[in-house]
Amino acid sequence: MSCPEIEHGVAAYLDGELDLTSTLAFERHLGECPDCARALAREEALREAIGRAGLRFTPSPEQTRRLRRAVHTLGDSARPAAPRWPAVWRAPGGAWRLQALAAMLLVAIASWSLGRFGAPRLAPDDMAEEVVASHVRSLLAGHPADVASTDRHTVKPWFTGRLDYAPAVVDLAGQGFPLAGGRLDYLAHHPVAALVYRADRHVVNLFTWPAAYSADHAGPTPAALTRQGFHVVHWTAAGMTYWAVSDVAEDRLLRFAHLLAAGAPP
Amino acid sequence: MLSSIRDRLFRQDGRHRFEQAVLPHLDAAYDLARWLTRNDTDAEDVVQTACLRALQFFDGFKGVNARAWLLTIVRNTFYSWLEQKGRGGSGGEIAAPFDEAIHSGEGATTDPEMELLRRADGRLLRQAFEALALPFREVIVLRELEGLSYKEIAAVAGIPVGTVMSRLARARRQLQEFLIAHGVKEGAP
Repeated sequence: MSCPEIEHGVAAYLDGELDLTSTLAFERHLGECPDCARALAREEALREAIGRAGLRFTPSPEQTRRLRRAVHTLGDSARPAAPRWPAVWRAPGGAWRLQALAAMLLVAIASWSLGRFGAPRLAPDDMAEEVVASHVRSLLAGHPADVASTDRHTVKPWFTGRLDYAPAVVDLAGQGFPLAGGRLDYLAHHPVAALVYRADRHVVNLFTWPAAYSADHAGPTPAALTRQGFHVVHWTAAGMTYWAVSDVAEDRLLRFAHLLAAGAPP
Repeated sequence: MLSSIRDRLFRQDGRHRFEQAVLPHLDAAYDLARWLTRNDTDAEDVVQTACLRALQFFDGFKGVNARAWLLTIVRNTFYSWLEQKGRGGSGGEIAAPFDEAIHSGEGATTDPEMELLRRADGRLLRQAFEALALPFREVIVLRELEGLSYKEIAAVAGIPVGTVMSRLARARRQLQEFLIAHGVKEGAP
């Protein structure tokens, strides 16, 4: 281990933590330094083995249920100053007022939720934010797929009659990205297809719609960005726009995107 | 009366914001807790406690990176849990020795070793991860299984980025050495 680059250079290169200049410099260095080239080959072999092994632990369905319930219960006190009910609740003869209050509450909550979910809360020009918000909503619900199936011949026809276009549904199970199902979502002011995949046991949402919906200018090469800790990869192909979102490692999501971009039917 | 309605709405809003921050990252929280505790039940307990703590700290959360925020709390919860669990070997867990003498094998990287790395199966890899001391296990889990960037790992583990890099490098070296050593043993007829 003579080369000083081995300790940090190799790993940073592998982890995609180098900027463009350093990447090019390191690639030049790789050509001249057999030690680093060998170290990189080993680290790549290790990473592939880790990727294949499916080491991520996921909670069992019962555990998930318990944990979600706990979060839901906890959330009730998510505001520090817990409200104290006014005397009206306990006042004798206050029953009718109580009912009136309950009715008002209902109306208030209903209109508030309408306002909350009905109105666009995000700047419409940042589609990435919207896409991440949709991804998060699908996770909040706990069941990201309306049609849960690993078979693309089940998922694809499910969209027929629900959308004005037919989304391409590709099975990538052989490449480590099994299909988990599909869902209708609403983005770019249209109902759109959300395909659910798994990558290293992480949920991936792939949103796809005709590029005309969002006047998209993205190129055919998948480009990555990050929003709120989620990775987003975006590209267009054959008049369709694609957005993949997940919390899986960025290089895995890019690989997923490249596989789709390469195999997208015309 | 109006104030009670307002309070109720705030409560709803608080719950919504809290769920939105925590629920999408429950799987990541569980994965980290499971690798740290090495046990299903303890992992669930740690995540439950972490959610409670997350609620207590929720006002301080700026809403930028909920995943790194929650994972930080899970990690801290785990270490307090470990401390509470008492002396029962926990000190050894944190400072699990890494025998530099055995593992300092310089150079001598041959193709058969590459082959062993490539062929390593899930069971052996799992053992290799479990054999790592905590400071190395946590960074490699955050990087390889949860896909965090160096900066995010530094924030979660409360260490400088340089330390993240050297711990990752050491973790990977130990994994390779474990796989090669045990791969040879198992591969031998």
